[in-house]
Amino acid sequence: MFRVLGVLGLVGIAKAEPLAYPAPLWDNIYLIWLFIAIVIYLVVSIPMLYFMFKYRYKKGVNEVGEPIHGNTTLEILWTLIPLLIVIYLATQSFAYYRDQRKPPENAMEIKVIAFMWGWEVEYPNGKKVYAFFNEEYKIPEEQKIVLPEKTPIKVLLTSRDVIHAFYVHPAKVMEDAVPGRITHLWFQINKPGEYWAFCREYCGTQHSRMVAILKVVPKEEFIAWVNGDNLKQANAINNF
Amino acid sequence: MAVTAPYRPWYSAGIKEWILTTDHKKIGLYYGITTVLFFAFAGLMGLGIRLELWQPGSQFVSPDTYNYFLTAHGIVALLWWAIGVWGAFGNFLIPLMVGARDVAFPRLNALSWWTFFAASVLVLLTLIPSNQIRMMWTGYPPFSINENAGQAIIYILVIHLTGAASIMGAINFLVTTLRMRAPGITLKNMNLMLHSIAAANTIQLLGVPSFAGAVTMLFMDKYMGTNFFNPELGGDPVLYQNVFWFYSHPAVYVMVLPAFGVFSEVISTFSRKPIFGQTAMVFAIWAIAILGFMVWIHHMFTSGVPDWIRIVMSYTTVLIGVPTGVKIFNWVGTLYKGSIRYTVPMLFTLGGIFMFLIGGLTGIPLALPAFDINVHDSHFVVAHFHYVLGMAVTFGAVSGIYYWYPKVTGKMFNETLGKLSFWISMIGSNVFYFFQFIVGLEGMPRRYADYPPIPEWITLHQIQTIGAFILAFGLLLTFINWIVSAFIGKKAPANPWDSNSLEWSTPSPPPPHNFDKIPELPADWSPYDYHKKYH
Repeated sequence: MFRVLGVLGLVGIAKAEPLAYPAPLWDNIYLIWLFIAIVIYLVVSIPMLYFMFKYRYKKGVNEVGEPIHGNTTLEILWTLIPLLIVIYLATQSFAYYRDQRKPPENAMEIKVIAFMWGWEVEYPNGKKVYAFFNEEYKIPEEQKIVLPEKTPIKVLLTSRDVIHAFYVHPAKVMEDAVPGRITHLWFQINKPGEYWAFCREYCGTQHSRMVAILKVVPKEEFIAWVNGDNLKQANAINNF
Repeated sequence: MAVTAPYRPWYSAGIKEWILTTDHKKIGLYYGITTVLFFAFAGLMGLGIRLELWQPGSQFVSPDTYNYFLTAHGIVALLWWAIGVWGAFGNFLIPLMVGARDVAFPRLNALSWWTFFAASVLVLLTLIPSNQIRMMWTGYPPFSINENAGQAIIYILVIHLTGAASIMGAINFLVTTLRMRAPGITLKNMNLMLHSIAAANTIQLLGVPSFAGAVTMLFMDKYMGTNFFNPELGGDPVLYQNVFWFYSHPAVYVMVLPAFGVFSEVISTFSRKPIFGQTAMVFAIWAIAILGFMVWIHHMFTSGVPDWIRIVMSYTTVLIGVPTGVKIFNWVGTLYKGSIRYTVPMLFTLGGIFMFLIGGLTGIPLALPAFDINVHDSHFVVAHFHYVLGMAVTFGAVSGIYYWYPKVTGKMFNETLGKLSFWISMIGSNVFYFFQFIVGLEGMPRRYADYPPIPEWITLHQIQTIGAFILAFGLLLTFINWIVSAFIGKKAPANPWDSNSLEWSTPSPPPPHNFDKIPELPADWSPYDYHKKYH
């Protein structure tokens, strides 16, 4: 049933063609939480502010508070209702999380190996891109991670030295790159352009400069690029 | 012995007496003054961080210095302020609240303080540039074993020393609370502050050894050639995270439960009303302490642990929202039909509850993996824990220090300056941390010394920095108030707040032996029944 809800969520938003997947699932859980949080905030703060005003000390009127020790019905209510709300939220998150984590069958698989400080990206045909950190955030063209538009991409992540993370900003997903483990995430970007990817696990001096640019291009352009002159690429790396 | 002189308050003791003291009040003061000073230290580090983030690029400090600031800010704000300050409260208050003459093991208590003192000296040594530690307060391997992380040994020893001090304090607090209550004080009617500190210290007793184990393995990996965390030789860096968070998640309740205790004491005293649902409050405190041990994977939702455990721990994590909700609802219930007096401690308590409400509501989505996948290790998380651990705990501690200030010093503080300090801090902290949520939702990763020149991010960081300085100014007024009032404040009566709680039945400041006669309380005694009069 939750699977169905999740798919409905995807279909409902697919009409508008979002910038990236699985970002709409995050947007959904964000809006659900925001609504519930604002309601709870008002339910608590309005009575609180009202009591703070109404029952302020007035000389001769309320010298002492009334000896009220509690109310069992209220205690049961404000235990059970929040319990139901949080269980609903966790279950809704469960449903979305499955789709956020499970890559579509036709996903293109790339390998990303993080290091201090940068990423080595390997495409299915063996082509590699080295995305090094840059102190000015000006990433040279040959260090941009080129990706096809409207194509689900599964990233297999690991690290060569310390723990890093790979956060795909437009797709709103991240996962740590852990040495000795292979972790994964998936995303799909639907519009050509340049997007940020960040390292999000603290990794030393240049952690904050360990950003990459995902350059999303139309599929044909990507195919031409990925099968293009490998020698030129190798030179670019040697010249770095 | 000579003829007994009139009681001398703690501040007339000589140097020798201070050094050799086993008096819980003097040790409480040691803890209190040290932790407040270290809070200022952590705050200055925080201001350095905020200045550096004013705009992209390196303006004032290098990334390495920034990373040291962040590490020191984290370690000192958590271990000295948010945990350490409650050592001051526990030491000073527990014997007075249970009607005892000292804690159960006074010499162990003195040892606890001097161990904490050693850790304090050690952490100050990191100010020497070659001693910097830059591994963040979490100290994740393999990074912490890397040269780039600085002096791992200082981190390891600081954790061991503060941990040993905590365990000694915890034993004392628990035994004193359980075994030394005066006749008439039961687990059912005793102060919620006592329950809070007991629950917090139960966590310390069970959890600190886990953290100590984690850093011991780190020590052996770095200096003795073992491979607990080295994947190339069969180790696993994620093991450290599990052992670390098994303590360090419950540790947040070590910080926040005593703040809840202060909220309860202050809100009842200044509403002149019993705590609404006192039994429910006691159950909520202990439920939080127990549930706290079953949720640590939410710090590791993106760390590569299997997806099924993320889901299991997302359910256990959201459950903590229930007892914390019960506490907030009961505080609101306590205000109902009260006689509310807006003193400085009451303002800080109400402000702290509002901050905790926002911090709690923004904690719920972080328990949901579907939400966390976008904001993990972003400034959203930083804003969340600065609402709960930063502001709710700080307002709780500041409220508590104001509340018991007359008892501790025998002087009254300046009411107007305190109120001014409250409003400035409240405005500053909300300007600061609210916009930290926004920049986090926009994707800003945490622990960044520098950031790409994205225009919205620059604006959001500048608003935060302004808020941070307003907050710092507000808290500065409180520091000035505490220092100046100790010298020129009006003399405080024994019970300036007309509280029914036992500590107020002693003179201000209390004599070294606290009570001439151990109090005996009637069967229907309660520290919160303001329609009755006990002393």
